[in-house]
Amino acid sequence: MKPVKKYEDLNGLELDTIREIGSIGTGNAATALSSMLGCAVRIQMPEVRIMGYNEAIDWIGGPEIITAGVLVQMSGEVNGIMLSVQQMEFVNLVLQKMVGHTVENYEQLSDLDRSALVEVGNIMISTFINALSSLAGITTRLTVPAFAVDMQGAILTVPMVEFGGQSDYIMTIGANFICDGTAVPCRLLLSPDILSLNFLLKKLGVLDG
Amino acid sequence: MDNKLVVGIADMKMTRQDGMLITYALGSCIGVCLYDPTIRLAALVHIMLPLNMEAGRKSPMKYADTGISETLSQMEKQGGMRSRIVAKIAGGARMFDVGGSGSLGNIGQRNIESTHIVLRREGIRLLREDVGGSVARTLLFDAASGQACVRSYGKPELIF
Repeated sequence: MKPVKKYEDLNGLELDTIREIGSIGTGNAATALSSMLGCAVRIQMPEVRIMGYNEAIDWIGGPEIITAGVLVQMSGEVNGIMLSVQQMEFVNLVLQKMVGHTVENYEQLSDLDRSALVEVGNIMISTFINALSSLAGITTRLTVPAFAVDMQGAILTVPMVEFGGQSDYIMTIGANFICDGTAVPCRLLLSPDILSLNFLLKKLGVLDG
Repeated sequence: MDNKLVVGIADMKMTRQDGMLITYALGSCIGVCLYDPTIRLAALVHIMLPLNMEAGRKSPMKYADTGISETLSQMEKQGGMRSRIVAKIAGGARMFDVGGSGSLGNIGQRNIESTHIVLRREGIRLLREDVGGSVARTLLFDAASGQACVRSYGKPELIF
């Protein structure tokens, strides 16, 4: 049996393939978001990042900032965690378009507001994963979305903890969205586990070695 | 307050006499404060997982078992005495309520249990704890007084 490649061992072709998965996934998610909000949505260049834990926290903008997070766990042929990290600007954009008002802070979120955010997150995540599944010809199951409003450091550590026994790094695949011409930071992040990532790359015929 | 020593994830820092240790945004992770009051030696470890099952054991501070025992032996090198060292812990929350019985939901709980077992095995007295629940915590630990402080979103600060 060939050895399992860790995140940090991936070569250029493999990373490009993952970036392409990210690009197709976020492209589909952007279309879904656009039809939900009724505005033009573009995506910035999708990124694949392999980061140490503390580096990842810095990258998302510091540990203590409060954000909303929608989390879906995927299992089956590919295991992983997908997160939609929704910062205030994005929250207000969604609320404005969907329920017709905005909030000043997360404490003002009503039950209706929360379900709107969960739904937007869930639809983007599901669209992303559906695109990935049909691209690679795999089947995955998704959990019901879970929602939390808390320090973003703690939200981001959820995928780290889940795969912490395998690696000292976290891999994120994702992009920011541009809605109605303004860049709105809504990060859609997929963290696959290492075995699933190897399986996926093999399925796509690019795993080397 | 401005010269705080920041303890990252899977990291440990130690200070003596004075100084403030801080670790941010503990979700299911646990911050373990270890303190020798006689010589005011304070250490703060930020652990992520209950048990170290890694082959190479490159990052002992990631796990409750190896993190706590490694910190205790480093404290002993600095003149700390096991019989005097006491502990305070915070963290172990459940950030997302995911349906089903995945490991995702109860990792915080497993971290709490493992931390308790390891402290008992090492003969360290657990003075206070603020664990479980569903909110993230930022933990501060003051070396001069041995006091710990927990900061959470939407809750008053807790000093213990």
